[in-house]
Amino acid sequence: MSTKERTRGSIGEFIRRPYVRHIFVIWVFVTIAIAFFAPVQSRLMGNSASLEMDVVKETMTIFTFWSAPVAGLVISVALYSLIGWRNQGGQAPTEDGSPMRGNSKVVVGWLVGSSILCVMLLVWGLAAMSESHNGSDPAEVHTVNVVGNQWVWNFDYKDDGNFSTPVLYLPVDEPVMFNITSVDVIHSFWIVEMGVKMDANPHETTHMRVTPTELGVFNVRCAELCGLNHSAMFTKVHVVSKSDYKAWVDSMKGSAQ
Amino acid sequence: MSSVAHKKSKGIMRKLNAFTGVAFGLLLGFTVNYLARKYLAQGEDFPFYGDQVIISTMLAWALGFMIGVGAFVGPYRWLMNRDLSYEDQMWLAGKDAGTSRYFRFTTDHKVVGIQYLIMTMVLLGVGGTLAMMIRTQLSMPNNHFINHSMYNSFVGLHGIIMIIATIIMVTGPFGNFILPIMIGARDMAFPRLNALSFWLIFAAVPILLAAPFLGGISTGWTAYAPLSTQAPPGMDAYIITIIIFAVSSAVAGANITTTAVTMRARGMTWDRTPIFVYGAVASVGVAIPAFPMFMASQIFSGLDRAMGASFYDATNGGSGWLYANLFWLMGHPEVYVILLPALVALLEIVPVFSRSPLFSFNAAVAGIVGITGLSVLVWAHHMYASGWAPNLNAPFMLTTEIISIPTGLLFLVFIGTIWRGNIWVRLPMIAVYAVLWNFLIGGITGIYLSDVPADMALHGSMYVTAHFHYTLMGAGLTGMIGATAYWFPKMTGRMLNEKIATPAFLIMQLGFQVTFFGMFLVGLQGQPRRVAMYDILFANGNKISTMGAYTIFFGALIMLVTIIDSWRHGEVAPANPWGSQTLEWKVPNPIPLENFLVPPVVTGDPYQFGKPDIYDLGADKEKVEV
Repeated sequence: MSTKERTRGSIGEFIRRPYVRHIFVIWVFVTIAIAFFAPVQSRLMGNSASLEMDVVKETMTIFTFWSAPVAGLVISVALYSLIGWRNQGGQAPTEDGSPMRGNSKVVVGWLVGSSILCVMLLVWGLAAMSESHNGSDPAEVHTVNVVGNQWVWNFDYKDDGNFSTPVLYLPVDEPVMFNITSVDVIHSFWIVEMGVKMDANPHETTHMRVTPTELGVFNVRCAELCGLNHSAMFTKVHVVSKSDYKAWVDSMKGSAQ
Repeated sequence: MSSVAHKKSKGIMRKLNAFTGVAFGLLLGFTVNYLARKYLAQGEDFPFYGDQVIISTMLAWALGFMIGVGAFVGPYRWLMNRDLSYEDQMWLAGKDAGTSRYFRFTTDHKVVGIQYLIMTMVLLGVGGTLAMMIRTQLSMPNNHFINHSMYNSFVGLHGIIMIIATIIMVTGPFGNFILPIMIGARDMAFPRLNALSFWLIFAAVPILLAAPFLGGISTGWTAYAPLSTQAPPGMDAYIITIIIFAVSSAVAGANITTTAVTMRARGMTWDRTPIFVYGAVASVGVAIPAFPMFMASQIFSGLDRAMGASFYDATNGGSGWLYANLFWLMGHPEVYVILLPALVALLEIVPVFSRSPLFSFNAAVAGIVGITGLSVLVWAHHMYASGWAPNLNAPFMLTTEIISIPTGLLFLVFIGTIWRGNIWVRLPMIAVYAVLWNFLIGGITGIYLSDVPADMALHGSMYVTAHFHYTLMGAGLTGMIGATAYWFPKMTGRMLNEKIATPAFLIMQLGFQVTFFGMFLVGLQGQPRRVAMYDILFANGNKISTMGAYTIFFGALIMLVTIIDSWRHGEVAPANPWGSQTLEWKVPNPIPLENFLVPPVVTGDPYQFGKPDIYDLGADKEKVEV
């Protein structure tokens, strides 16, 4: 009895308790299952078309990985309790459960663990944010002025000649800066596959940067309810090679004159 | 009957009820409407005429209703130096009155609680029906079930109705009915304010429901300016509703806080006060700074619309970002106003159905306080992509992510209490498990959204919609259903028929998972929120969502019928069917008018569960009873 009492509460004794082992096994399975699931969301987001979207997809996966053990713990205890600690018979329990009113080691451990996770999230987020702000010389960045208008997008190419178009063309692998505004209500300029969006506010200009990395045709949708035909406010963005882009700019300049 | 007994005390007060309220409200409303149309300047030079007429009519209805229902009897009698007599106050409390007390300005907190419960169910029913309309429209990519204008109107109305319903759903019914008994009080601190808070909501609801007939709330529940300035007169209904609702919640908040602080029974020190009281006070406490922001935002919006002010008009020195800030200063704390009371109601349930004390009462309090404090510092994470202040994105990411720490503490309390309990699986406890699952998903998806780069991709998409439904519906509303199942025997005197209610609950949960699985899917694929039609790419996910939504609706209907049936014909409940230790279970059924015949004295906290066993002799047993 005295030896038992001496060891009770020690880690060695704790992990020898049968229910702790069962919960541990469930926890391992659940955590692995969530970890397997981690890349699924990223895959459902489709192929990335920009540096920015790469970061988003990575974030979705890594955050799921990090939350797997914690979510796994909550789920495994809940699952086990329904099997191992369930009152049999369905009538009101005649016996009470554990009288445990707290355990400062557990509370402190939980606080430390969740704080570490929180810091990891924060550091990751800050690093990702600064990554998207770095890049090449601002002078080399293309500028496109985006104007939201119920319920169409207009793109003014001031740098590459003076013309407007309702369909966006961008050269691949070159950073582009959008100056975004609106003539009526708030819209939100969202290039879906590039994982970036920025509101278009009336009488204000907001800025958004993106570096397309894939050739192809991608979707622009309005992400802020902007009235009757909000759902019809979409267009396409064509990401083309640099030479194709030059040819397109020339043809647009020709038609503009 | 009772009027005979009170023959002596004459006065119009005893003739007032909800019907005289409606009559007087309509009378004043129509009168002001007539006067406004006659005397307000109209014509091409006065573009605000329409909104002025509608706003004044609505305000007149609300004022008339409140006068007609007798809300001002007390202050009026006080002013006339004829303060309410004891008989008057007993009459107001509904002494010896039958069902009629539910239809008048009754001050008894138990009556107000039931009134709130019915109101919540009605609002949830209307909001849920609108959700079904929305999901039906979205069942196919280019559906023509309803047109875009009606669709936008339904989206806005669904949003704001559900927000109001979920804000009142726990602190209204249970905060009023249960909380005073739980702390050993005979009533709320301010019984007349209690009735006032309910009847204000009652006055606001017809205004809100008038919105679809006035062009609808075409802006979504956020009512962003300047879209709201463009919107049809339905927007005025939204504005007036919010203003009235803000007054109501301020009144209710002051009342519940005062009650909890000053009216606890002898011996109920703070560490013997049930955790539900903490959560309810935290919830209404957060509302006290948050809702005036909402009210101010809508007063400004109303002035822009009806008086040509330019708070939000960027061409005249205003800013739409001002609106967004005021709105989210309310909007994010409001999430916790909804969530906290539901979670703490479950924290009352877990010890009872695990037959185990709350694991670390102090951690639960710390979690509640932490969430409450941080909740007012995170609002601009709704504005990462607004362009308002990009340099503030990082600080707001910090505060938002820190909130996961106190939230995590609440999870620890849940699983710690379940730990080696003797789990009694009844509907309230099933709700606890459901909420643990749903809140886990809602919480983790919230972590992605707190991250600035990830939010740039997900903001404004269906992913966000699915996320906040997991928190507000999956955790909030599911928790409220658990709380209803738990307190049903005390509130109605009858047992809820779990043979039907539990399957109905499970059907709703299943439907819920399916609905929002589909919504996460289309959100990840890039479907924006609040669209009436969408790309063919999103067809499958939306179909899944709509099927899930019908499943929820089916389950909810069965649940509703079961609740009504059990309420009327259910098995008569014993005073304490669950073996709970909080004070509300110590009073007999039906509960006497002033709850306690003898004021209770409290000698310990209400979580005295547990038997010593081989693992727990000593070390873990920190606090011993009394």
